Amino acid sequence: MKSFIQIGRLLRAGVRGFVAGCTVDRIDLPRFGALVRVPLAGDLEAVGLIYDIHVDDDGLVRQLAAASEVLPSTIQDAQVNRNVPLEISVLTIGHLRSGAFSPALPPRPPLSLNEIFLCTEEEISKFTGGGQYGYFRHFLHHPDLPLEDVLVAHLAQTQPIHRGSGNPDWIQGAVRELVVLLREDYQRLMGVMYSLRDLKFESIQLEVE
Amino acid sequence: MSESRGPIGFVVGGSLKDNLKVRLTVPPDRVQEGAFVVIESGFWLFYGLVTDLRLSAVDDRYAEGLPAGRLPDQLENIIREETLSVDLEVLPALMLERGPDPGSDEYHDWKREQDAKSSPQRARPVKTVPLHHAPVRAASSGDIEEIFGQDKKGYFVLGNTREQGHPVRINLAKFIQRSSGIFGATGTGKSFLTRMVLAGLIHFNAASVLVFDMHNEYGFDDTASDTGQRVIGLKTKFPGRVRVVGLGRGAQIRGQSPDFNLEIPLSALQPADIMLLSRELNLRETTPATLDALVKTFGRDDWFREFRDLQVGTLIDNGEGKMIPAPGSVAHWANANGVNIMAAEALHSKLRRVFGKNYLVENPAADGIREIVNLLEGGQHVILSFGKYESDLDYLLVSNLLTRTIRRRWEKLTNDFRSSGKEEPQPLVLVVEEAHKLLNREMAAQTTFSRIARELRKYYVTLLIVDQRPSQIYDEVMSQLGTRISGWLGDEEDIRAVLSGLAGRQALRGMLSRLQPKEEVLLLGWGVPMPLPIRSRRYNEDFWKELIGDQMRVDDQSAEDSIKELGF
Repeated sequence: MKSFIQIGRLLRAGVRGFVAGCTVDRIDLPRFGALVRVPLAGDLEAVGLIYDIHVDDDGLVRQLAAASEVLPSTIQDAQVNRNVPLEISVLTIGHLRSGAFSPALPPRPPLSLNEIFLCTEEEISKFTGGGQYGYFRHFLHHPDLPLEDVLVAHLAQTQPIHRGSGNPDWIQGAVRELVVLLREDYQRLMGVMYSLRDLKFESIQLEVE
Repeated sequence: MSESRGPIGFVVGGSLKDNLKVRLTVPPDRVQEGAFVVIESGFWLFYGLVTDLRLSAVDDRYAEGLPAGRLPDQLENIIREETLSVDLEVLPALMLERGPDPGSDEYHDWKREQDAKSSPQRARPVKTVPLHHAPVRAASSGDIEEIFGQDKKGYFVLGNTREQGHPVRINLAKFIQRSSGIFGATGTGKSFLTRMVLAGLIHFNAASVLVFDMHNEYGFDDTASDTGQRVIGLKTKFPGRVRVVGLGRGAQIRGQSPDFNLEIPLSALQPADIMLLSRELNLRETTPATLDALVKTFGRDDWFREFRDLQVGTLIDNGEGKMIPAPGSVAHWANANGVNIMAAEALHSKLRRVFGKNYLVENPAADGIREIVNLLEGGQHVILSFGKYESDLDYLLVSNLLTRTIRRRWEKLTNDFRSSGKEEPQPLVLVVEEAHKLLNREMAAQTTFSRIARELRKYYVTLLIVDQRPSQIYDEVMSQLGTRISGWLGDEEDIRAVLSGLAGRQALRGMLSRLQPKEEVLLLGWGVPMPLPIRSRRYNEDFWKELIGDQMRVDDQSAEDSIKELGF
């Protein structure tokens, strides 16, 4: 079932990623590492992963920040009634066509002001569990991606979903795939593995035979 | 290796020259050096031997160890599994066309083609390589039978594969077509292995056997030097088909009387027999001339007896007060025949060791040599036990003398068979222990044995040489050995000698030095389809039960069986 939890609208986009704007009242919805989808045209949708959420300044905020005394109501007004939206950076990691997920990039980017929706658990389970972790390559090839942090966040959010859907070995396969993809680069692999360690692995219950 | 027929790995590289590289997908403790593996690639099965196991890593830093305690065990395990591997080096030996999948349409066409061929498909020497990622599995008992033969007459189980314990057979008919050798350092079980091979040859009537039993081990029951247990002799199990012959009158072998005794007439000794003892007797280079003169003076039959009877140092007065050599003395004979007196007297002195041999007699009670030859011709088996004559001199002299007679006889039989259509000669295997004494570089040219090794295959006579120092055996003889069965060898030169002339010897070299010191042997050479280390059978009651059952109670035998056993 499709999610209709809209978290924002598209600001700018390319095939490999896009940036969405989000109002402050929805700041609790997008999570770092979450999967989202953007309808393109017809039954085609881009699937992405949130790898950054940032709050840009504007003129008013700058002035208030420089003021000596600011009323709390003024601060609250500036935070809630912002002219500049929160920006959500998304890495495109695949697409959805006629209900079928693929780790391949979509044929074209979404258009400005298209709506962005959070993926449901069912969609996450289908997308991340159906392609032999093929979407991992998008993480590895993105020069600006905070790889370790994104992976930790993504695995931590996704593993419980797979456990819940009867696929507890998913995390083991995911880690194995990462090792295979990164084993030629010792430093990078060990960096990723140390990040996973920091996650306190018991919390996502890595299971091996 | 497990009994499972599932893959143990897959091909990741290699060449015919450098062997194949196989990535192992099961724990390395399930595969050992020397394992017989099968690679399935397209229409072909490739049979090979694991000659090396190597630890590999994507990056050496993974192999050097992950920082201790910094990663959860689960993560460490996954990293190890995906970055570290064990690679096998596989020596490809044979390939067999298996054809398309039996369920496919192509299979029927292929089968028709195969059926139309005059000879059925057989494994052939490997001429190409399997494809990348071709699955590799441990050989099954069916694979072993396909290559080494099935349970049928003339196929003798010598041992079992080391991991799976599948029986490995040798084709005795092929085994006796060329000379063969059993090697191994002392204490590796050569004698037991030889007993088993001989038992197979005798049981299946593959050939007549003459054993030069220097240490009286093969005929009657013995006691194992290491375990103290009873070791059954061949005579015990084949009482009607094996004759134990003792050297010299009244010889007793292990406290028992032999079937008959061998005495050698003095007339049988020839100068060549003496020359063979050059090193043993420290003969001079003048010896050939002296021997030549002796033969010219006394004739080929009498020279030895006459020379023996000559006196040394006897002088007489020539009537003028001068002492001269007396008639009947060595010096007198030398003077009369233009031979250096000192050389003749020195030879006489050195030959005293031979003159004193009690088995050399002027008139033997029976023609023992003739009797031995007759027995062998008739399909019987002879174990010539040297009894108390255990010196190298006795061994060299008697074995060479007897073999010379046999060689002549078998050459005649073969020529008669080929030219006159007479009966085909019975194949004969001469078993030579401590072969390096007869077949070393210095002696090889002089003994009959080297000629047999080189030429007598076509005359139905081959050697089975048993030795612990194969490096001491002349290269030319070693190169002629068809089947080589070797136990553990520690000396590099011995290993090199056993592997001489064989393909893949570099890969097999380490395997020989890493065999278990007891009960593991490596089969090699022309007589076996491919090299294979095996765990040899144990020479005990079970062996005999498996080979001949409980038939050995003479009371239970029919008259017909008894007559058959007697060789008629």
